[in-house]
Amino acid sequence: MDLLSNLGLGLSVAFSFQNLLYAFFGCMVGTLIGVLPGIGPVATIAMLLPITFHLPPTAALIMLAGIYYGAAYGGSTTSILVNLPGESSSVVTCLDGYQMARNGRAGAALSISALGSFFAGTVGTVIIVIFAEPLTQMAQKFGPADYCSLMALGLVAAVVLASGSVLKAIAMVFFGLLFGLVGTDVNTGAQRFTFDIPELSDGIDFAPVAMGLFGIAEIVANLERQVARSGAIKVSSLWPTREETRRAWPAVLRGTAIGAILGVLPGGGPTLGAFSAYTLEKKISRTPHIFGKGAVEGVAAPESANNAASQTSFIPMLTLGIPSNAVMALMVGAMIIQGIQPGPEVMTKRPDLFWGMIASMWIGNLMLVIINLPMIGMWVKLLTVPYRFLAPAILLFCCIGAYSLQNSTFHVVQVALFGVLGYVFSRLGCEGAPFLLGLVLGPQMEEYFRRAMLLSRGDPMVFIQRPISLGLLIATAILLVLMALPSIKKAREEAFQEEEG
Amino acid sequence: MNRFLSKDFLSGLLFIGFGLAALYFGRHLAMGTAVRMGPGFVPHMLAFIMIGLGLIISIVAVVTNNGEMAEVPKWKPITLVTIGIFVFAALFERTGMFPALVALILIASAGGEEFKLTEVLGNIVVLTILCILVFKIGLSMNISIINGVW
Repeated sequence: MDLLSNLGLGLSVAFSFQNLLYAFFGCMVGTLIGVLPGIGPVATIAMLLPITFHLPPTAALIMLAGIYYGAAYGGSTTSILVNLPGESSSVVTCLDGYQMARNGRAGAALSISALGSFFAGTVGTVIIVIFAEPLTQMAQKFGPADYCSLMALGLVAAVVLASGSVLKAIAMVFFGLLFGLVGTDVNTGAQRFTFDIPELSDGIDFAPVAMGLFGIAEIVANLERQVARSGAIKVSSLWPTREETRRAWPAVLRGTAIGAILGVLPGGGPTLGAFSAYTLEKKISRTPHIFGKGAVEGVAAPESANNAASQTSFIPMLTLGIPSNAVMALMVGAMIIQGIQPGPEVMTKRPDLFWGMIASMWIGNLMLVIINLPMIGMWVKLLTVPYRFLAPAILLFCCIGAYSLQNSTFHVVQVALFGVLGYVFSRLGCEGAPFLLGLVLGPQMEEYFRRAMLLSRGDPMVFIQRPISLGLLIATAILLVLMALPSIKKAREEAFQEEEG
Repeated sequence: MNRFLSKDFLSGLLFIGFGLAALYFGRHLAMGTAVRMGPGFVPHMLAFIMIGLGLIISIVAVVTNNGEMAEVPKWKPITLVTIGIFVFAALFERTGMFPALVALILIASAGGEEFKLTEVLGNIVVLTILCILVFKIGLSMNISIINGVW
């Protein structure tokens, strides 16, 4: 059995002392930033990217992955106990989780969300194992035109996730693509938009951009509005009652299924999964009136969904090399830093890395249950740290992190400039995520585009003559049309309003 | 309210502005042909698309006039944070990490609503120790804490 030997290899890699240590470190950091509002996984991973230079590739990726799914666990804790979502993926958990806590069922809500997340994480990992190989084989048939169309689909799908105007989000994608072109043109060696600055000839590093857009802009936003924090609710018994368990487990199953499917889609991810799972539960429930008043299903389903989606969103990145969200874009960057070109070859050339990372995800999920449940008191204490202590620390780590990318203060200046740009974006209601995805995919997409056109002797029809490319472009067009339809538009606006409210 | 101050109209302008800037600064880049594209082909294409989208966004915003208005920003936090990072960048290699760190934290903390000197000093001490432990000792990065001293 190939699958079993692969898994065995993965487990042996993941169970090495060093990798266990980094998985644990990643999970701890992930839980920490998940609990703390005001800093998300994107900014954190960007901050820690320079550190991964010093680590072996497997350990680096295991650690970064741990941060990503750890944040999904940690975010739910604050949603339930303080009604403050630590992450956007736990926004819906607030609705019923906080109500459960107010009804004295905080412990039950926490353990249902942790155990549901663990179950979903396990299923998500199994799905990756099963689908990784066939998908990778499919990816090897992809030509340049197909890759170009696939990226177009990914970028358009990313727009679905952005709240606010679709047109603005699409413009942000092109904005990002344009910034991605800065540097030396690979084919001709011409300098593009470098303004004779030698540091720019290698292109704009995405790590300072992510720190600026997601770190600095977030700090400034938090400094502007001083958030008053309500006290956390005390946690009593962690055990759910028999009745609660009976109602939770079907919701966990449904949430896992929805999250797993939405996570694989380009542009999908934990947030979309959680929202859809909550909506479904409310629709099919025989008692929809209790939602928003502490329904167990309203905690179990979205929490399982966001974790399942966190796991399965690794699939497009690992098999095709296409990031499906901003965090995956940074993971691609982390691989490139280590000299690994993400894509279908990773599995054949570096099976230890590929399977080791997947196996470590399951171990990480197990660790997270332990980190989150018995240690809940510690995380709650952390919430009382005022933001004015955190902001300078985040700022400082961004600056030193940016410097150590290439030992150059130019990168620190870049952080500041992109911080200003990110501030302007947030003031004008423009999303940073599509911009970052465009920036990361820009150079690759141009390369594939030019190669496809070269192979077809300048005939743009190549994009609709190849069946794979045609299918992907049709999917892209359908997505665009769907978003323009009035009924979908309305539902989308409602979903995001719920998020903001 | 003035319909030219909506968030959508201003972001449309932003897109148009950057599109035009890309055209201007990329004007010397050769376009090439569709078969053999020059370095300027894709940048020009993207810039035109961005200008087009920017125009649509701002025209729709002015015509419908029901978008959210842009608020006047609070200048203090963003200005001080940005200055703090610039000062950090300027000091880091000349004087070492410690002076740069002190400057960054002092300036950035001044951007917040509450500024208590004792708290900020405590913050500086804790963060200095943390940075030395993590970056200098833990990761053994080649940075000096105070130039010429350590």
